[in-house]
Order: sequence, then C-alpha cells, then structure tokens
Amino acid sequence: MKKFGFILALVLILVTLITGCTGGGIKQEGASVKGDFIDGDSGGDAETLNWILAADATSFGYAGHTVDSLATYDNQLNIQLRCLAKDIEVSPDGLIYPVTIRDDLKWSDGSQVTAEDYVYTLKNLMFSDWLNYPYKGEWQEQVDGNTVFVTPEVVNATTFTVTRQTVYSEFVYTIYDLIPYPKYISTQYEGNVEAFTQAPEFNNLSYTGNLGPYKFKEWSRNDRFVVERNPDYYLGKDIGAPYFNQYIIKLFGDSATRQAALEAGDITSTGIEPAEVNRFKSMPDVKVYTIPSPAYWLLAYNERANGWQGLKDKKVRQALSMTINKQTISQAIMLGFAEPAYSFIPATSPWYTEEGVAKYGVGDLYDAGKAAELLLEAGYAVRGNDGKIKAANKDGSPVRLILATNTGSKPTQDTVFSIRKDLSQLGIETEIKLVPWNTLIGQYMMNKVPGSNQQPGNNNGPEAVSQERWDFILLGFSTDLLAPSGSNVFFTTKGGLNFLGYSNTQVDDLFQRVRSKEALDKGVRQQLYAEISRVLSDEQPVDFLIFNRANVGFQKNVMGIEPGVSMGYNYYKWYFEPVK
Amino acid sequence: MGKSWLRDYIIKRLIYAVIIALGILTITFILLRVGPSSPADKYLANIAARGGDPAQVQTAIEARYGLDKPIYVQYFNYMGNLLRGDWGWSFSTSMPVTELIKTHWIYSFQLILLSSLFAAILGMLIGIYSAVKQYTKADYAFTFLSFIGISVPTFWLGIMLILVFSVKLGIFKVYYDTTLPLFSIDNLKALVLPVITLGTGMLAGYVRYTRSAMLDNLKKAFVTTARAKGLPERTVIGKHVFRNALLPLVTIIMFDLGSIVFGGAYLTEYIFGIPGLGQISFNAVFANDYPVVVAVTLISTFVILLVNLATDISYTYLDPRIRYG
Repeated sequence: MKKFGFILALVLILVTLITGCTGGGIKQEGASVKGDFIDGDSGGDAETLNWILAADATSFGYAGHTVDSLATYDNQLNIQLRCLAKDIEVSPDGLIYPVTIRDDLKWSDGSQVTAEDYVYTLKNLMFSDWLNYPYKGEWQEQVDGNTVFVTPEVVNATTFTVTRQTVYSEFVYTIYDLIPYPKYISTQYEGNVEAFTQAPEFNNLSYTGNLGPYKFKEWSRNDRFVVERNPDYYLGKDIGAPYFNQYIIKLFGDSATRQAALEAGDITSTGIEPAEVNRFKSMPDVKVYTIPSPAYWLLAYNERANGWQGLKDKKVRQALSMTINKQTISQAIMLGFAEPAYSFIPATSPWYTEEGVAKYGVGDLYDAGKAAELLLEAGYAVRGNDGKIKAANKDGSPVRLILATNTGSKPTQDTVFSIRKDLSQLGIETEIKLVPWNTLIGQYMMNKVPGSNQQPGNNNGPEAVSQERWDFILLGFSTDLLAPSGSNVFFTTKGGLNFLGYSNTQVDDLFQRVRSKEALDKGVRQQLYAEISRVLSDEQPVDFLIFNRANVGFQKNVMGIEPGVSMGYNYYKWYFEPVK
Repeated sequence: MGKSWLRDYIIKRLIYAVIIALGILTITFILLRVGPSSPADKYLANIAARGGDPAQVQTAIEARYGLDKPIYVQYFNYMGNLLRGDWGWSFSTSMPVTELIKTHWIYSFQLILLSSLFAAILGMLIGIYSAVKQYTKADYAFTFLSFIGISVPTFWLGIMLILVFSVKLGIFKVYYDTTLPLFSIDNLKALVLPVITLGTGMLAGYVRYTRSAMLDNLKKAFVTTARAKGLPERTVIGKHVFRNALLPLVTIIMFDLGSIVFGGAYLTEYIFGIPGLGQISFNAVFANDYPVVVAVTLISTFVILLVNLATDISYTYLDPRIRYG
C-alpha cells in the first residue's frame, strides 16, 4: 500500500484509527445508528482536504473518511476490495494491470464514477507538470535511462488498464491506493494551480457522493474535523452502516489532556502512552487494545566523509550494534510495548523471516567484550596495560562521536541516553544533539557535495556530506507490510533516503531483483526478502532497534472492533452497544 | 473642544501606530522569508521515503505558493494584496487568512477578556482588603496564596484543574467545546477552567500590586485629611485611596493585556484545546506558513499599540493633571 493505504495504515494504527472498511456483509446484531464517535488526536492538524496536493499523512486520513481507495487490507493482510469490483489480475508478463471498478459509485451530482475519472486523475492531475503531485514518483519508471510515467488507458465505463514498460513486482499496491478526482469538476481548474488549490469543491470534499462511509461536515482548524454519516455509502446501504451519526476527530495539544478526556468519558477513543496503559486497563469503562505496528526505530551509522572513519568498516558497525542493548529499549524504555528489531521487515509482514538473521543487541550478540575484540580486530581500539580494550582512532586518540535525534519524544530521548551509556562500555564518548525535526532533516540528513551548486537532498551521491557533522542518527520509520521493498530508499546506493551513505552492490542487486519480474513469483520474492534481511543484518548499515506496538483505548461500549495491525479497516461497521 | 489636545494626540498616535505596524510587518516578512526554512521541509523525508525527489517537491511546493519569486516581488505582491484586503492563502490550513482569523479570533478574545476581568476585579478587591487589613491573618493568607499563584506554572495548573474538576469530579469537560453557542451559560461554564488557568498568575500579581499601591497611598496626608473631615472609611478607601492607587495598576493591567494577546494565551489554549489565534500562529510558525504569521503579528502589533493608547488616555481621566503635548 503505497500512498493512501500506507499512510492511512499509519494514521489508523498509531494515531486516529480512521478509514478503511470491509466489503459489505450482514448487519451486526444490535448495531443501530446512534451517537457520535469522537476520536482524540494530538498529532497535529491536516494541511488540506484537497488531498492530491498534500504530502502529510493527516490530510490523507481526513479525506479518507469520505472517499475509499480501490482496496485496503484486513488484520491478516488479506486484500479487501473497496471501489474495485474484482481484484486486479496482473498480466503474466507483469506489465498490464486491468482495473475494474464497481458500477454503483456515484459523485455528489449523481453521475457515475467511471474509469475515465480514474484515468483523468492519473494523466491530467497526478502526471501533470502544473500540479506537481508530490508522489508522482510512484507512477514513474526508468526506461532506457529515462524517467517515464506508466500508461493508463480507459477500456470501458468501469475498466481501465495501467501499463508499465518495466516490471515492478509490488506495483499493484500503488494501484490499490488510487482515489479519483471528479473529471467534471477538475477540468474547470485544470492548468491553474492556484485556482485548483483554492477550489471550494475540493476543499470542502463536496464531490464525494457515495464513495465513503461519511460526508464532510465541518473542519475547524486546530480544533476538530467532523464528518457525518453517509446513508448512501455503497458498502453500507444493505446493512444500514455506518452506525455513528458523526465521526469527529478532536485535536488536543498534548497526550495528557487527550488521555484525560478518554478517562472522563468526553471522547470515545484515543492512543494511550505506554506508561499509562496499566492504569487505563484497570478502568471499568475503557478497553485498551495493544496492536502491532509497522513503525520501527533505527540507529543510522554515518558512512559519509563527515562521519567517523570507523563506521565505514562492517566490523566496527557490528561491534557497536553488539553493544547497544535492545532489551533495555524495548522493556525499560518502551515498557514492553516494543520488541527488538533485526530487520526492516516487521514480524507481522508475510515477508518476515528470522532464518539466518543476525540478532545484534540481544542474546549472544549482545556482548560488550566481544564487541571490544571486534573493534580491536578492525584497528579501532587499543589494549591498555590492564588488558582492557578501549575504542580508539587509528592514531590512538579517543573516540568521540555525535548522536543526533529529534526533540519532542521522551522515549526517543531516553533511548539516546541509553545508547550513550552502552557505548561508554567501549570507551566511546557520545555527544547527544537533540534538535527540532526540521533541523535534523535540513542540517543532518540532507547533504550536498561541498563547494557544488547542488540543492541539498537526502542522497546527493557518495561525495556529499551534511551541513552538520554526525555519526549516529536515531529516527523512526515505517515499513509497508505488503511491499517492504520500498525500504530500498534507505539501503541502496542511489536510494532517495540513503542519507547515511551506505553502498553495497549485493544489496543494490537484491533490491532490484525483489522488484523485478522474477519476484512476481511469491516464492522467489520470499527468498529474496530473506536474503536481503540476512545481508543487511550482517552488514549493519543501521542498527534496527525496535518495532513498536501501539496502544489504543476505547470506551467500552464501542462494538465491532477487530484489534490488529489494520484495526480500522472495518470501522464503518463499528457501533455503540445498545442500552440494555 | 475641552480636550482638543487629546484628539490631536490620538490622531498622532494612530499615525505612529500605522508606521510602526508597517515597520514590524516588513521586518517580520523579511525575517521569515530569508530564513532557511521552507513550508516543504517537513515533508521531505516522507517524500524521499516513498521514492520521490525531495528537491523537486520542494521546488514545486514553493512555486505553488509563489515562494520561488524574489523576496522583493513577494513583498510588494503581499503588500499590494494586503491593501486590497487580501491577506493571502494559508497553506498550512488551506483557507484564506482573513477567513482563518475571522473564525478563530473570538476564541482568543473571549478567553483573554474574561481572564483579564477575572484577574483584575478579584485581584483589586483582594488587594484592597489585604491593604486595609494589613498584618491580619487574612492578609497573611492572601499574601501566601498570591506567591503561590505567581509561582505556579500555567501548564501544571491547567492539567491539575482538569484532573480534579473534569476527570475526578466530572464538573467540567476536559476540553473546550467549540460547538457551544457563544452567548450561553454552557460556554461560560466551558471557559471556567481556562480562565482560572490563564488568570491566576495575573490575579496573584494584581493582589500584590494593589496591596502595595494602596498601602503607599494610605500613608499619605490626604488620607489623614479625609478621615479628619469625617468622611466615612468606605469613601476614604474607595474614592480617595483606591483612585490614586489605580494609576500604576492600570499600567500593569494594560501591559499584561498586551503581553497575553495571542502569545501569552497560547499555553492555555494548548492545554484546553481552544483553537484561538495563539494556537493558530504557533502552528503557523512551525509550518512556515508566512501569510498567517505575518497577519497575526500585524494584528498583535495593532492591538498592543491600541492598548497602549487606551492606557495613556485612561491616565488623563484618572488624573486630570496629566496632559499630552
């Protein structure tokens, strides 16, 4: 799930539990339309409801209440059809994707949503130069050294095809996330980005017809986003769903008041901080679900010219990862609501494997003594007269390194101090830099070749360095559970987010293969993912630290919830327990 | 034409206000635009993570909002639009800035107004009582409570009030409900905790200032004269002492009012989820939403200048000897 699905999954699980729904069904016993569902959130407001212009997850999340994508997935990661009439059957050569949509989808003016709307959205909006859709790269491919768009074509009113020139084994997940703009409105603004940006139809989501379980009602900035029940919802009309009169996202400044509001019964649901979980679990009117999440933390090692020389050596990276205690982070800091990570693929992904994966930071591979020996072998340590091994530069000077992370998260800050303590066992002094997120991106992660006219980017080639010196960066990231090859941006030589400067031809080749024609065979893809996991766990370009688990609290009278990694996928069937 | 000098003075001050506001607007605009931040900053990692080209997206987002033009062009465009009543488009909230301010100013205004009234009225009453009953148990108690009120952080107080009165006692909602009618008892009830949170620090200060100013005046000869003339004590305190003590108090109250406009109220808005201009401007700063930041700065500047002017004018009524040339 690349765009909507991927971002929505994050929003659903970690923050607000929003969109997605199952493919029709039988009305649940006791379910009736009643009350407002108030979802407390403190993750910040959306930027726009005109989602095609948005780059933030919240904007997609808000819009997602009123318009469904082509498909989503359930807690077992099975594809659940939404606007699709049937699943996409990719041609045997992996190049043609026939897409058949339902014939009962309507815009607000009553006209049918057609394949033409989807193709128009792709060709005239997403692929256009004037609009500059932020994620157009997902619809591009490299052909003979040129970047070109895939080709969408209308077949009939309900069918269109997307044709590629090169195979990308996981491209279907990009298509599943597609959402159309109405051609009959969009053409009025085509070519004029200012008019399109300010178009009232798009900023008020007044075009969404029966495409989502809810209809837009009100958006009070930095306060609340309100959608009201859509009685015409194409998946809900037979079962009377959705069952809430309104779905309200109420924004809070901080987690303390957000959680207090759940405790006081002023809101229906919100995320619970790890330290508060036991207290909320003991409350008679609240249910807390702990669910897996695709989010993970990693410690990036700077292998660029302005990082410590030793980090270019695999043995040194292994030694450092062997010294950092992942149990401390998952148990003491995250209070058990995380598990040690050894790969970019979470255990909930069908592509996860532990076979042959080196588990640095736990068990036998958590050993400061062995780590010191490794450093000595690599020439980055000296043995003192007392026999103790201490990290040192090649010239024998002490090792002083910089660990940067963003401000605003106590667990993150506790983790960097824990890492500093762990590294001190090797005699490494670590300076911690807590900086705002924008600074971390702009001055630490983005880089350029010194003295060049390059615009700073996250990977401007092997010679590029960041403005500020750093050796480690701690940051959180997410993996697409169904298409984890998107993590190639971190680990391939030309990856768009390879700010760490890691380069390994074997890894480049494996990521290229896992997205290629041979990987259309799921067995082959499984083997390739296993091989990537093994190589990366041995190479340690980053130290995968933990996979997070999310805690979500609900008032006890909310029924129909299926806890899991895609918890909100059937939220249009949730309801309040009838009063007995 | 009894106070024609005052009219001239007000006109002069209003002209100054426009010039100062223009200067502050220009400085704010330039500072924001020459900074290294871009509205696209926060998306760059997200975009790269999904295989996009951050540099291309940054260029696109800046072009979308006209930020790719030279600063002087942006400045003159902005000023031209401003004169026509167009304050621009807020790209962090996707609505016209005027619309954004129009829908949110009232939340800040009612909070600031009620907090100021709560603090000023109660603070002066307690301060007068403390001064008149100097060195009594009540005076000591109010002095002690005042120091607590001054010391307690707004953030902590707000959270504690929520925990006690909303979570434990269930008297008030945890958050401010924007759907309540503005002129209603329910709305007043919803504002009780925010007003106490914002007003407590000011209230404690006013108690101390009032007590001190009253004590200064109570020692003066005119008080002895008034009492010797046989005036009732209530008249001596209320009409003579308090009126003289009011002059420095007005300065402090007006100064406080100026300083809490938007900025000072931010924390309270943040805690109680009140979508006032404090929150709007704070978020706009972090989103590099220049049109909103400049607009709110401009409004704040005008409000503060007008409050200062009102303070100066009030002096002439409180003390008729004061004249401005």
